[in-house]
Amino acid sequence: MRDGINLARLGIPAVALVTEDFWPQGDFIANSFGMPGIPRIRLPHPVAGTGVANLRHVAEEIAPRVLAALAEG
Amino acid sequence: MNALLNAVDEAAALEHLHELGCTDGLPAIVPTLRRVDRMVLASGLDAELVFGEMGPAGGVATVEKVAIAAVMAGCLPDYMPVVVAAVRAVIDPIFDLTEMQGTTHCTAPLIIVNGPARRWCGPIASGFGALGPGHRANASIGRALRLAMINIGGARPGVSDMALLGHPGKFSYCLAEDEEGSPFPPLHTSFGFAPEDSVVTVIGAEAPHSVVYSGDADDPDNHLRLLEVLAIGMANMATNNAVLRNGSVVVVLNPEHAYILSDAGLSREDVAARLFELAHHPRAELERLASAFAGRAGDGELVGCFESPAQILILMAGGSGLYSMVMPSWCAGAHRNSAVSVRVETDPSCEIPLERALREE
Repeated sequence: MRDGINLARLGIPAVALVTEDFWPQGDFIANSFGMPGIPRIRLPHPVAGTGVANLRHVAEEIAPRVLAALAEG
Repeated sequence: MNALLNAVDEAAALEHLHELGCTDGLPAIVPTLRRVDRMVLASGLDAELVFGEMGPAGGVATVEKVAIAAVMAGCLPDYMPVVVAAVRAVIDPIFDLTEMQGTTHCTAPLIIVNGPARRWCGPIASGFGALGPGHRANASIGRALRLAMINIGGARPGVSDMALLGHPGKFSYCLAEDEEGSPFPPLHTSFGFAPEDSVVTVIGAEAPHSVVYSGDADDPDNHLRLLEVLAIGMANMATNNAVLRNGSVVVVLNPEHAYILSDAGLSREDVAARLFELAHHPRAELERLASAFAGRAGDGELVGCFESPAQILILMAGGSGLYSMVMPSWCAGAHRNSAVSVRVETDPSCEIPLERALREE
């Protein structure tokens, strides 16, 4: 979330990828840093360590949403 | 001035604080105006003086807010200069407080106190059970920092503090160095402070890991074996220090172990240098057990856990015997879990006689 906020503050379109378990923390950080509307996309939890096949599946599923969010930004 | 809450009595006020999530789960002293004013007075500072922001909530840490945390924690007014120094330490950008509060790692701020403030602002225990129960200053100073991190920094478990389990040191984690008993110069002098300075050093640390070593004075390699087991404890393959690497670690030598090393002619710097050398792992082990992180380890058959011996903080505390302790760290954040040292400012502080304070309740 911090990376997304920092990039957005630099004027660079950014989308934060946040896993399910960290969604409340994402909201907390977004509100704390004064950017409650920072675009973010929900990922399943966990992602790390779930294997290449699953990572590829997750990436294919979210890539269109990332592109759409960046286009909107 | 902070918002005031009203309650019919102290018990109701405490329940309200619990309901608001303003406590650590244990009973707290209700921060009445009179108690907070007394704590502010003890600091010798203006109530509205700003120390900085505390992440992740970005709350502004003023003297008054820190005093509220100190009151809630059960601090005596005498402790306030140490609490202030600890808060200033975690606010230093090098401490990476926002990241430290939000990580899934169990890290908690370990407060190490050196210099005359150990007596003036305490006594802060450095001997038997210094990290355990029974020492009011140790318990309440560490707790005051935690309550500041909760109520000013906004750390809430599972929402903004994402530690998967945490550890009991997240309630309180504070000790002093046994400078008088130690064969080594005090820890803070290795950071450039004078022995007569009072200094608080704070580092995000795991729970203490016990290191057992039974010395043998007839063994010419006694000190080398002790160093070997200390190195295993502080950077074994289950620690972030071995896997994420290049962070700091704390080594708390008990007197028996400290004298095994000093009697072998080793200085604190010698001990750190040898522990640095020992804290290396074969690349194959890193690839086998921590493949996700092995790619960061550069070239070479042996991978070092530290960038410098200075990342190994060594002090003496505790009773004398078989057990020392090591505290591995998170080793992440922009500054790789650096320790921050802050001078304890006792000059402006104001002595608040306890008897009078109690009469005024």
